[in-house]
Amino acid sequence: MPAKAQEKQKLIDKEGKRIDGRNPDELRPIKIEVGVLSNADGSAYIEQGKCKILAGVYGPRETHPKHLALPDRALLQCRYHMAPFSVEERKSPAPSRREIELSKVIREALEPAVFLEYYPRTSIDLFIEVLQADGGTRGAAITMASLALADAGIPMKDLVVACAAGKVEGKLVLDLSDAEDKLGEADLPVAYMPTIDAVTLLQMDGNLTLEEFEQTVNMALNGCKQIYKIQKEALKAKYVALKEVAEE
Amino acid sequence: MSKPKRKSGVFVTPGDRLGVIEEFSPGPGTYVRQGTIYAKITGRSLIDLLNKEVSVYPVIRTAVVPRTGSIVIGQVAQTQNQTANISITKIGKRALNGEFTGVLHISDASPVYQESMFDVCKTGDIVRAKVVSEANRTFHLSTALDRMLGVIYAFCSNCGHMLQWRRTKMRCPNCGRIENRKVASDYGKGEI
Repeated sequence: MPAKAQEKQKLIDKEGKRIDGRNPDELRPIKIEVGVLSNADGSAYIEQGKCKILAGVYGPRETHPKHLALPDRALLQCRYHMAPFSVEERKSPAPSRREIELSKVIREALEPAVFLEYYPRTSIDLFIEVLQADGGTRGAAITMASLALADAGIPMKDLVVACAAGKVEGKLVLDLSDAEDKLGEADLPVAYMPTIDAVTLLQMDGNLTLEEFEQTVNMALNGCKQIYKIQKEALKAKYVALKEVAEE
Repeated sequence: MSKPKRKSGVFVTPGDRLGVIEEFSPGPGTYVRQGTIYAKITGRSLIDLLNKEVSVYPVIRTAVVPRTGSIVIGQVAQTQNQTANISITKIGKRALNGEFTGVLHISDASPVYQESMFDVCKTGDIVRAKVVSEANRTFHLSTALDRMLGVIYAFCSNCGHMLQWRRTKMRCPNCGRIENRKVASDYGKGEI
């Protein structure tokens, strides 16, 4: 779409609704499933609006190559990858600069939650595959990856939940979609451990005043707390399904 | 976050509050942070009022790695004169997704003196062993401590047929070859 045609399309209408009909402080509909892959030790799948992401966890297992192994804790390896068909124009399947950085950022957002010191010299491998991207993939990926880790039975301090907030056409909004992310003024993803009350990831793209920044962070944290409830329900749903199978 | 739960059998996820250290001692599946006990795995809370202990009983399978003392089953990857490398594929009753590498030294192989590792096990055999040490970044195994430890499936180095256990020696039913092994008491019957 040419830039001029897009500028005409208002991101927020007169009634304050966003292009997908949401209120400024409303999340996209979220659907999470846990334990979807049978070959992986743990797995999860999330649909957040139009985003569709799948994650698998392997481990703790022997580190390869062996020189990467850490003597006092497990090595958390993370691979964030976007499928070639996940965006409108085909994306080269080779890991891009952005994907490598997101892998690092996601790994560092999850590391504080996992008891890595229980499994010295092993590696825990996390694979995140974006099947369909529509803004806020890193947040959705962190939310779901922590569930995949919990599903693998790896001890954790807390589930990590992530959500973005930002500024679009002068208004602060929660959980940006792709269009809002690209055309808006600012995007601020936050990852958070609700019980411990600790932020593990805070990034910002764009410009915000100090006041706006504070409001946006609080907005994102509120979004996180909402998603946290959905996360717990998803883990519980898997357990209930397991129980039904056992009873049959 | 949520109100601490004081009931047994409540479904908990990592990070759920279970109580404070003044009322309970933290059991398996829990951790303590700033005086509060939290769950670290997904499961059901278990409150032992007799011993004043709170723990989490896992409902999903938990992550396992070999520990000192665990009984493992693996395949002999390589045999040298004094050592054998064993790729561990099972810990206790739990089959692994990948494998861990363990080392069996001839001094830990049998309660009696063994001249050569080739009299204990050969490449391709399935072995049950106990982890005796995790020193030097390797899992040191032993098959000497128990009659249940040793080779549970052995294969002829000449033709590859499974060997039959004939009291002290192993005999190949196909080619008649006689070999030596440190055999477990349930040879040929053990579950892999």
